[in-house]
Order: sequence, then C-alpha cells, then structure tokens
Amino acid sequence: MPPYGSEPESGSRGRDFALTAAVLFVAFGAVYLPPTTQGRISSTLQVSALRPFIAMQSLLTDAGTRRVRIEALQATLDSVSAAMSTHQAVANENETLRELLALQERAGPTYRPATVHRPGTPGSESTFLVNVGSRDGIRAGAPVVSPTGLVGVIRETRTGNSVGIDWTHPDFRPSAMLADGSAYGLIESRRGAFREGDRLVLNGIPFHEPVDSGQAVLTSGLGGIFPRGIPIGTVLSVAEEEGTWRKAYYLDPIAEPAAATHVLVLASDSGDDASQAWDQDTVGVAPPGSNER
Amino acid sequence: MNELDVRTVLLWIVVVLLFVVHFSLHIGFSYGRGAPDLLTLGLLIAARETSLGRASVLGLSTGLLEDAMSVLAFGANSIAMTLVAVGGAITRDLFVGDSRHFLPAYVFVGKWTRDLVHWIGMGSEVRQPFVEQVVLQGAIGSVYVAGIALVMSWVLGAWGEA
Repeated sequence: MPPYGSEPESGSRGRDFALTAAVLFVAFGAVYLPPTTQGRISSTLQVSALRPFIAMQSLLTDAGTRRVRIEALQATLDSVSAAMSTHQAVANENETLRELLALQERAGPTYRPATVHRPGTPGSESTFLVNVGSRDGIRAGAPVVSPTGLVGVIRETRTGNSVGIDWTHPDFRPSAMLADGSAYGLIESRRGAFREGDRLVLNGIPFHEPVDSGQAVLTSGLGGIFPRGIPIGTVLSVAEEEGTWRKAYYLDPIAEPAAATHVLVLASDSGDDASQAWDQDTVGVAPPGSNER
Repeated sequence: MNELDVRTVLLWIVVVLLFVVHFSLHIGFSYGRGAPDLLTLGLLIAARETSLGRASVLGLSTGLLEDAMSVLAFGANSIAMTLVAVGGAITRDLFVGDSRHFLPAYVFVGKWTRDLVHWIGMGSEVRQPFVEQVVLQGAIGSVYVAGIALVMSWVLGAWGEA
C-alpha cells in the first residue's frame, strides 16, 4: 500500500464537522423512517445504482436454470437413445420368436424351442449349445432349424443341454435334393481361407442333370436323420466338375448360423416330411413332390 | 499531474473497483458470506484519503446501498458504514500509517467495528446471538478482509516501487 497523502483540501474544520453531524443524523434517522419510505429508498437504489448487479444476478440465475434444463434434457435424450438402441434388437428378437412360434405350429409339437449359446472360445467355432437336452427328448443327430431353414445338427446331448454343429462345420453332411426332386446329392462345408470364406456345397449331382442358378435345395430325407423338405439354400454356381459324371454346386445358405439365437430342435421322430412347415414362397420353390413344377 | 495526483487517482480507481467487485460478488453472483466485505475495505481506504465530511457522506452512501438489499434492518448498514467512515477519517489524525502492518490491522479493526455497530443497529428481533454474529462471524470476516488488504498492500506497494 502506498503511503497516505497529505491533508485533504477540505474547507474549514467546522464545516466538515457540521456535514459529518448532518450525515450521522441522517444515518441514524434512516432506522426510524416509516417502512414505506424505507421501501421507496430501497426501490430507488435497486433500480438505479444496484440495477446492473441485480441484472447480473438475473442473468446468472437464468443461465443456471438453462444449464439444469439442458442437463435434464440431455439425460432424457440419453435415456431415449439407450431405449432406442436396444429397441431394434428386441424388435428383431421378437420377430424371430414370432416366426419360430409360427414354424412350431406348422411343424408340430415334436420340435422343441431352444436358445442358442455360442461358447466363443478358441476351437469352438461352428459349434453351439442349446438349452434343451435328453430330458426334453433331444437325441444326437436331431436337426436344428430356424424360421428360414436348416441351421445345424445336434452332436451330443446332455440332460439339460446339447451341443450342436452348424453348416460351417466340416462334419455337417446332410443328404439334399433340388426342390423339384430332380437330383439328389450330399451337402458339405468347405473351409475358406477365412471363416467368412466358408462355402456350402451340394456335391454328387449327375453331370448331365440341368441345375439352374437360384434353384432351392432341401433336405432329401435319405438316411433318416433329417426329415425331407427342410430348406438349406439356393444354387449359386458350379463349384467343380469331375469327368463327365459328377458336378458340385456352390450354395447360398438360407440360414445364417451367427444370427440364429432362437431355434427349434427336433425332439423325436416327426415323420419323414417337414416341407409343409416352411413357407415355400420364401424358399422360392414348390414343395417337393407337388406337381406344380 | 504530479506523482501525488496519480497516486490519488489510482487509489480512487481501486476503491471504485472494490465497490463494484463487492456488489458483483454479493448481489450478482449471490456468494453471500463466502465473498469478502470489499465495500468496507474500500470505504476504510477511502476514508483516509478524504475529509471527515466527505468520508461520512461516502459511508452513508455505501450504507444505504447495502440497506437497499436489507429488508428487515433498514438503516443498520447506514449507521455502521457512516461511523466506520468517520472513524477511518479520524484515524488519519491519530496514525500516520506508514507501516506495512498498519493497513491490515486498521482494516481488521474497522471491519469488526462495522459488524459490531451493524449488530447493534439491527435490533434484537432480527439479529443473531452476539457470540455467533459478532465474535465468530465478525472475527472470521475481519481476518478475511484484513488478509485481502495485506495482499493488496503488497501488490500495490510492489507496483508503486516498480
């Protein structure tokens, strides 16, 4: 703090004392003013000298209120976003379950609904667990189907669950046929350079049998493991030819194993024809054995 | 302007700034007791720079501004600030005040006196217990303002020497 200055250049001492006395009188008198007068003085000062500070307070209060409102809106938006993000998955699952219920009604009570779990551990590729087992009547070799078609087959059953393989597994070998029943063959999975490169192949088709691209391929029911008529896929192109007696075709699989979260598993012998369980319009062909083609 | 005039102008600028910051903190930002009583600090500094009469007018003015926001005890601040201003102006005749320790001590006593007079002027139906409002809150508030005065004297002293 700098040193204080010299004597102020005020007037006479007497005048100074008189002014001070008058001010003190006013100050003490302010306490005894009528409340209305006190209020009037307060109002005058509030709308004049103190107005900028009161305006600042209003601005800050409004800003604080807006901030709280924005935070509340942000929280609401976050909740809605979270709900929306899960809504699509729930809606998809709901749709799958509805389709599965419809499929079960068509296929009959011998198909058990099940939930698919994938272990996700190294070496467990192409295998899955379903939460139905021997106590539900599930046996090894039972087909696993989704509303779109054949997903895989059960390999092992336990009391409460079972282990299955999907069509990407090398051991997946159901007998198959073209949807019009004109040719029969064997389905096999061929490993690609990477998992997404795995291909489904219909092998053993007679060389001179005409097979068009887009033709549907169904289970043939031969061998007694898979009922006849479960959609497997559609023909894409020729995979290989052997001499002049055999051809193999790449298939576009109709069921996506990774997307199959809810499936039906055949619990017991349901007869040898399951073709009526699938909507043939979605398969793209008339049911096998029908005379429409 | 000579050096004395410059110093006086700068000092009044500091006083006005203290008044503005005080009302900004107390009314604008609504900090309440968390903000220091810079109005009393500014008044105590100004009181030693002007005559007794002008100091009392300044005290009454600042007191009325405080009272404008005080519904239940109108006038208590006017009395307290006027008396503090008069007391501050009188101290110039009693103390030279060239010691670095003078300003904090002067501000401490001035602020505490202001709280004491304000407590008395409020009236028994409004005021809090003496120990709580004057002894505890008054002492803490006085130390707070005296600390600010100490920092200010260092800053302004260093600035003046530069």
